[in-house]
This record gives sequence, C-alpha cells and structure tokens, in this order.
Amino acid sequence: MRLWLVWGSLGACVLLSGCATTERMADWPRTGDPLIDGQTAIAHAPARDKPLWEDRTAAVAMRRGQYDLAKSLLDDVLLTIGGISAKDPNARKARSLFHGEARKTFHGEPYERVMAYYYRGILYWMDGQPDNARACFRSGEIEDSDTENRRYAGDYALLDYLDGFATAKLGGDGSDAFNRAQREARLTRFPPYDPRANVLVFAEYGNGPTKFATGEYMEQLRFQPGVSPDHAALLRVDHQVARLDPYDDLNFQAVTRGGRVMDYILGRKAVFKSTTDTAGTVALIGGAGLALTGNREAEEAGLGLIAAGLISKGLSALTTPAADVRAWNNLPEYLSFAAVRLPAGQYTATVEFLASSASTTASFSKTITITVTDPARDTVVFVSDKNQ
Amino acid sequence: MHLPFRKALAPSILAILAVGLPGCASYGVKNPSGVPVTEMRADERGFVAGTGIESQDLVAVTDKMSRSILAIPQIANAQGTPRIVLDPVNNETRFPINKDMFLDRIRIALNTKARGKVLFLARGHMAVLEHERELKQSGQVTSTTNPNVVEFKGADYFLTGKLEGLTTRTAQGTSDYILYSFELIDARTSDIVWEDSAEIKKQGLDDASYR
Repeated sequence: MRLWLVWGSLGACVLLSGCATTERMADWPRTGDPLIDGQTAIAHAPARDKPLWEDRTAAVAMRRGQYDLAKSLLDDVLLTIGGISAKDPNARKARSLFHGEARKTFHGEPYERVMAYYYRGILYWMDGQPDNARACFRSGEIEDSDTENRRYAGDYALLDYLDGFATAKLGGDGSDAFNRAQREARLTRFPPYDPRANVLVFAEYGNGPTKFATGEYMEQLRFQPGVSPDHAALLRVDHQVARLDPYDDLNFQAVTRGGRVMDYILGRKAVFKSTTDTAGTVALIGGAGLALTGNREAEEAGLGLIAAGLISKGLSALTTPAADVRAWNNLPEYLSFAAVRLPAGQYTATVEFLASSASTTASFSKTITITVTDPARDTVVFVSDKNQ
Repeated sequence: MHLPFRKALAPSILAILAVGLPGCASYGVKNPSGVPVTEMRADERGFVAGTGIESQDLVAVTDKMSRSILAIPQIANAQGTPRIVLDPVNNETRFPINKDMFLDRIRIALNTKARGKVLFLARGHMAVLEHERELKQSGQVTSTTNPNVVEFKGADYFLTGKLEGLTTRTAQGTSDYILYSFELIDARTSDIVWEDSAEIKKQGLDDASYR
C-alpha cells in the first residue's frame, strides 16, 4: 500500500510538472475578411481582449476608408488606455502567481498605445479639428515617455512635427515642437512647415513588430521586428512630387522602451515556480527514500514529506509566469507625412513605394483620388501600403 | 495518522513556503495595485501627476464662470440686454475633447440662472436662419414682420476660452494640470471686459501590470 502511494505520488508529480495553461481557441465564426472577423471578435472575445480586437479592426477600417468605424473603435480603445488602471481586478490577477499576464485587459505596449492616439489624431484632423488632433499626438508622446532609458522617452519625431504643424495651422507658434522633431528625427529631416498647404497626406508602410516570449517559463517579453520591403515612398499629384520618407520606425520604438515593472513581477513568478518545483522534487525523493526504508517511523515521516512535495509541485504547476504576447499585429513599420497645396478639384494621385529613399523605381504603387472641396480647409488623406 | 507523519508534514510545508513565498510575484514592487485617481486642489502638492478632463471638471469650471460673468458691472448694470456670441474654445491640452460643451454649459447656466440678463445669438444656425429669411422674402412662406428689414442682432460681446495643459509622466505616475481660462470681449472696442480661470490638477499611477 505504501509502495503504491510512493510510486503514485511520483507519477502525479511528473504529470503535475507537465501542467500548462493553454489558450482556448476562439470559437466565433471566421470569414477571412479581417474587418468582419474583427467586429465578430469584438462581440465575442473575452472583455479583456476587446481593446486588442478594436485596435486591429480600426487599422483595417482606416485602410479601407471606413473612418467612422475606425473612430468609434479607437474612441473605445482610448477610453480604456487613457484612464488610470489602479484597482483593476484583471490587472491584479495578471500580477498574481496563478494567472498569466494576458489575464489583464489589453492596453498594449507603449508603441501600440501611441498608434491608437496617432490614428485617432489623423481622424480628428480629417474632421476639421486640428486642435483635438494635436491633443492626440501629444498624448501619444506621453504614452512613450516612461522608457527605462530617458534618451528614448517621447521620441516620436512625427508626433512632435504634427503637434507643431497643427499649432502653426491654428495660428500659433509651432517652432518649439518643430525643433524637437528635428532633434528626434533619426531617419529623415523634416521640411519646414507650410501653413498654406491644404492637403495633408499621412502614409504608412512596412510591417510593424510582433511579440514573443522567451525564458524557461516564457516569462520574458520580446519583440520581433517586422520585415519591410519598402523604406520610402513618393506622392505624385497635379505635377507635384512630395517625398513620403519615413519619420518614425515602430520596430525601433518597440525595442527601445526597456524593461517593465511587469517583467520584474514575471521574473519573481518564474523564481517561485522554479523554487517550488525543485523543493517539491527534493521532498518527493527524500520522502520516497524514507518511505522505503522499512522503518515504520521513517516511513511515516517519508509519507509526510511526499505529501508536502506534492503540494509544492502543485503550486509550481499552477504558477503562471507567462508574459503577455497579445499584439496589435497589423501595424506598419514606418510612419510618414507630406503636406501639399492643391486648389479645389478632384485629383488622381499616385503613391509609389520604394525600396530606399535613393530608389528611382517603385516596387509597387497605389492610385488614390484626392478631392479638395474647400481649399481653405485641410483635406486629410490616409495612405497605407495595405490599403484595400 | 501517526505522529511522525504529522511531525514531518508541518515542517516540510513551512520549509517549502519559506523558500517559495519570497518569490511571490509582486513582492518588492511599490504600489503594485496602483493608486486610484485622486482629485486635488490646484494648489495642493501632489504625489505625482494626473489624468484627463471629466464631467465633474466641466461642471465645476462652467459653474464658476457663469457665476463670475453675472457679477461683472457690464452685465449686472447693463442698459438693455447684452447680446453674446460664443467663439469656439481653443484646446491646447493633450486631451481631445468636445470643446463646445464648455461654452454650451456656460450658456445654459446663464440662461437658466439669469434669464433675460444676457442673451446669446445663435450664430451656429446662421445658414438655416438666412435660408428662412430668404423664403420669407420670396413669399414662399408667411412672415409676421417685414422680412426685408434686417433683424439679426449684432454681438455686444464675444465669449471664448482656452484650455492649456501641463503633463508629467514618470515611473511614479502621471500628472496633468489643466488651466481653463475664459474671457468676455467687447465686440465694439475689443476690450477684454471679463476674464476668469480655473485650475485642476490630477494624478494617478497605473497598476504595475501596465508599467
């Protein structure tokens, strides 16, 4: 009987060690259309994943020109990420030993939160509200301001440039923001503001970063930079050529944030998991040895050790240090912008995507229609290499 | 259960807990649950920095402004009823807002609390009003007065405002200070006949799982 108990316990320990939490496959129907599937996911996914699906679906809606849908989705996302998340029960669970980080409501890493503000800013400007657009660009910079290395804090050059441009458009002095943008510009220098430019072209191209986890228990969050065939673009419209060189690189932004407080918490979870596993193993082996000695008192002590070892193994198996790898997976790598002057009318414009800023041959191009109804009012155009 | 079993079980569990508990995930993290948003007086020294414009701010600010406007001599002792036009507020904060809500609420408060002391002109509806007048002038609809006489009133004052913000974000949290300033401008002289402001500072710290 005791022998059976000993070997049974050891077997259970092996099984418990193999315990792992697996994500339940989403069970809503899929059509293959990311816009429809995204909206279905928003309706059916767990509440904690809703902002994630709203982010992804908003990006698709932007690229399809469904700006009202993008607006409503981003407004909901900004309500979530714009508040202070103190005393959030899901966040508390994410910190607890027995839940993974993905238990928390998705806010995204700073580069993802910045993009929610950036897209919403474009939409505000599209609606003739450059001051609210500027507010979004400023909030975006704030989202990026809590980096481990202060050198990379609030260093989205394009957001600062747009902040200053909106200020100039509103009759203010945007020179501070312009100078800040020039200092932060790592990829391309900015042209001076032209407050009389009435067509604002926001362009994006390439593939943004995704996330993965490493470490013994997948407790370390890492970023996988996206691969981009194109590194520059040109806008041709009404005999004008405007450069759409990259001003910000999301791959760079993702990897320069530095360590998180949550990384420290996940590290401690991993230590707990490892320690309780080792302690359990030691207790089980020691207990088994004692239980098989034939001495009655030693056998009883051994059984006690085995029971404690099983508890320890159970605790270890239940501990979940896994990092949250949910990612806004359809972001671009490069953000660009150009402002041109166009009189009222309808124009057929071409955006050529280039392998480098020195290239003269486009790897591919997109044709867009720009309609200027009122030259006194800004016409905002959004172009993505993923435009559908 | 025999005594040696009990004797062995308790120390073993204690030993495991002693080894394992220091590994508790949030151990050593300051304010792991975060600090809830606390509204503070603008002159109160905060522990960090804050969050955005909310309904209670709108109510507090617009109540203060409407009370303040009614107290000025140009309104309180006016000969006749001053006409005011609302000029959109300039939002210079980092928070996208519906700016019209501020002036709308001031207008509503003034119309509610001091009915007749001031009147607001519906400049936002001028296109509809002009169209209606044209219909009357062309005889397509009836009119109780001569439609060819211009009766649209000119403004005596313009009411406008500005929202400015200062933001700090560090590992200790986020802080937002917002200055709400409003002014009443004499449409004839461009004198600023009244000006008032309100300040709100808020601060908070996100849950550690978001930091």
